[in-house]
Amino acid sequence: MEQSMIGRGRDAVEMIADPGSFAENRVGEHTFDPDYGPGAVVGTAALDGRPATVIANDAQAVNPRFPVVYFGVIGMEEAYKMAGAVYETLAADADKPVAEKRPIVLIVDTPGNAPGKVEEIFGMNKATGAYQLALAQARKEGHAVVAMVIGRAISGAFLCHGLQADHILALPKEYGTVIHVMPLSSISRITKMDVERLEELSARSPVFASGVEFFYRLGGVEEIVPSPKEMGRAVRAHAAQIRALKAAGKFEETGPWGRGELGRVRGGRTARAAVLERMEEEFSQVSGRYLR
Amino acid sequence: MRRSELMRSSFLECPARARAAGLVDEGTFTELAGPLDRLTSPHLPALGEAVAFDDGIAAGVGLIGNRPVFVLSQEGRFIGGAVGEVHGAKMVGAFRLALAAYEKALRRHPEDLEEYRPAVVISFETGGVRLHEANAGLLAHAEVMDQIQDCRGRVPVIAVIGSKVGCFGGMGFVAAAADAVVMSSQGRLGLTGPEVIEQEMGKEEFDASDKSLISRTTGGRHKYILGDCNVLCEDRVGDFYQSLRDLLSLPYEELCRCRRIGTYSLVQEQMALTALAAELNPSDARDVWRYCGNADPEGLTELETGEFLRTARRRAREVS
Repeated sequence: MEQSMIGRGRDAVEMIADPGSFAENRVGEHTFDPDYGPGAVVGTAALDGRPATVIANDAQAVNPRFPVVYFGVIGMEEAYKMAGAVYETLAADADKPVAEKRPIVLIVDTPGNAPGKVEEIFGMNKATGAYQLALAQARKEGHAVVAMVIGRAISGAFLCHGLQADHILALPKEYGTVIHVMPLSSISRITKMDVERLEELSARSPVFASGVEFFYRLGGVEEIVPSPKEMGRAVRAHAAQIRALKAAGKFEETGPWGRGELGRVRGGRTARAAVLERMEEEFSQVSGRYLR
Repeated sequence: MRRSELMRSSFLECPARARAAGLVDEGTFTELAGPLDRLTSPHLPALGEAVAFDDGIAAGVGLIGNRPVFVLSQEGRFIGGAVGEVHGAKMVGAFRLALAAYEKALRRHPEDLEEYRPAVVISFETGGVRLHEANAGLLAHAEVMDQIQDCRGRVPVIAVIGSKVGCFGGMGFVAAAADAVVMSSQGRLGLTGPEVIEQEMGKEEFDASDKSLISRTTGGRHKYILGDCNVLCEDRVGDFYQSLRDLLSLPYEELCRCRRIGTYSLVQEQMALTALAAELNPSDARDVWRYCGNADPEGLTELETGEFLRTARRRAREVS
């Protein structure tokens, strides 16, 4: 096993950004309260001298107000702080053309959303949803959103911090990278199927197995970046590529919709396209009755 | 079942297809990619699991007045209504059709768009991602959120929650992202389900066998007091239908004021709520009810829905 990046979100920021350029808690004109949402690292860094918003997880931080938030868990404060960083980014570049809007770089290493009673009472679902809507808006307004998975990208936490990006990049499994909803052992417990049988099946079917290479086949990861020292290059290259696509008006080639098409091309997700086509065809036969 | 009978029947027990038909005007529902098409999961057979011809969801279109309403109705009897590749694609497909219909309505009815503006209604009954095809399910959730953002300023999205399984997992944030949320007292909404919290954090954090605790924490009444549910109605199909009609009769701008998230000012309101969460540190949702001005929170759970609606004090919204 190569040296893992798990728990090293801040190191990853330094490895990706121009040396010494990261200004934590500062986005546009706004300064974030460093005590609010301590598990979320937000700020502005430079990529080749141009500003980029960086949003990462801090696996060392513990949230003193919400005891289920530690080791990179995204709690309510963390998710709202991350959403806030996105909205401040939108405000900072509101008057700029698409080609000049700053990229947003997500550095992903999170084991989940906060699973607690207080979280359910106040609505953790809103917090994770709020961050996703903010990122989707940023992507649609022309910001290039690049996610770099350096460690754990698990289930709902990956949905909010990662899956709304234009492009998703990931370190290979040799670095301990994990992308999944839950481990096979848990799937085995819930579906009551043998782990051995699941392992055997997962070699052929990428749809439930745990791993970066399976997400790649499903179109869920655009590029597997061979090693941490290449993260900086990869993030810059993808940001430039996304910016060019958006400047040309090609907004549907990236993001969740673009990854749907990529899943078809890579052969991991082919039923999706068939369903979409059938719905369109059947609706066209009755649309006169509904579109008055 | 006759329409009048359907309207009087319990929403909680109602199967997905009947629910979908009951949420739009009588006789107007047409299912798309329905069971006759046999678009089944390509992944379940490999695991030796049975498939359903509708993959656990009825998707289609109906009318409310002159307005096309694209309906998604999840079926909890099939793998708990969980979202796999086909199921998720039907959700995405309905949004795409609604957005295309909006462009048409905009051209045809620039003067009276309000009457013809398409809508999306999701009747949730799900625990989120289907583990048998978990990766595909996860990617489908991201696509649905992307579509909801596309609907902003164009197509109203309404969440309906009152079925047996409730609305949990990733679908919990899809519901939160809707413009308006309609629930019955029996409806359940959350992110991490009670069993999962108990499994990960222990029985002291959450006792998943305590039905009353689950109801207080995730139920329609709590969400109504907190403002996470906009309309609380009786557990009848007809009451959900009427609630939808009422919401859709509002001018679009006014309907959008039901939102909880989706702008910076709404996020700031929620940030203030996290400060309250830290300050109150409630051991029970009833502490929040009391904070909102309900002197007798225990009594609230006992009331009939109508009496509850007349009595309950709700959290004051900070964003108009």
